[in-house]
Amino acid sequence: MLQQAFETDFWKDANLRKVWDDIMPGVARKTLPYVLTRQAIELYCRSVGETNPLYFNEDYALASRYGGLIAPPSIHILLMFACTPADDWMRTPGTVNAGQSWSYNIPARPGDTITLQARALDKFIRRERLFVVHDNVFFNQHGEVICSGRGHTIRPK
Amino acid sequence: MTTSFDMLAAGDEIDGPEFAVSRESIRLFCDGSLDYNPLHLDDDYMKGNFGKTNFGGIIMHGMNNFGLISRMLTDWADPAGAVHRRLETRWLKPVRPGDTIRPQGIITSKQTTERSRWVIIEVLVRNQHGENIASGEAMVEFPHEAQPR
Repeated sequence: MLQQAFETDFWKDANLRKVWDDIMPGVARKTLPYVLTRQAIELYCRSVGETNPLYFNEDYALASRYGGLIAPPSIHILLMFACTPADDWMRTPGTVNAGQSWSYNIPARPGDTITLQARALDKFIRRERLFVVHDNVFFNQHGEVICSGRGHTIRPK
Repeated sequence: MTTSFDMLAAGDEIDGPEFAVSRESIRLFCDGSLDYNPLHLDDDYMKGNFGKTNFGGIIMHGMNNFGLISRMLTDWADPAGAVHRRLETRWLKPVRPGDTIRPQGIITSKQTTERSRWVIIEVLVRNQHGENIASGEAMVEFPHEAQPR
């Protein structure tokens, strides 16, 4: 599968993204399948200082109960952006993350093709701030749930 | 000493890793997470106001806290054959370059359900001033067949 180069300039497609008024709770967000590589896992791990050999050492991981290399549970932080297109409203500059909750089922592994089902679940105004609640489920190529979670974002005005 | 479900009690503490926050660590998290929101990159942008809030400069990703807490929980659970199953967090204060943060867990209760065993953990992250910058709650499962390694 060909993965498109990731656009790191979040201003570039800013005019294409939904603002708070446009976001409709219940409507699915556009998502993209993503092949999770060992390199992407290792880069994410380095960014939070992960040292557990389950993520790095193939021999160690093979002998573990997981039977091979896995990604850390919090890999969904990367997957949220990897599995969504450049015009997704999660990338709107100034989006503030106000908290998240995630449940973990099975680990993601290098080589997995990850898919995401995601939507806004709710939106409201509190203390003059515009909130959107998002919910998300990540699957592997076998249709197994990797993890599911929801979060609150404060939208820029 | 390896943790076991039977030995754990409310009030037991889990110490997490210290993490030095710098412009470089924030940039690395951008690359690791693909979250290039200018909140974490652009000082000029961060001179502006966000509603009533002015951050005064770039801030660390809230999810960097989340990743650190998750790392602490997984590294604590895995040697006991246990599994990090859930984490809920909210952010209390922004974290800036130059800060040093450290997550911590405090066991609040143990529960046995029909098919498994669970430890409920209050989590928090403190900065170098002892201020709480993130808080939340986690669940770790200790399956009956859990084998310490």
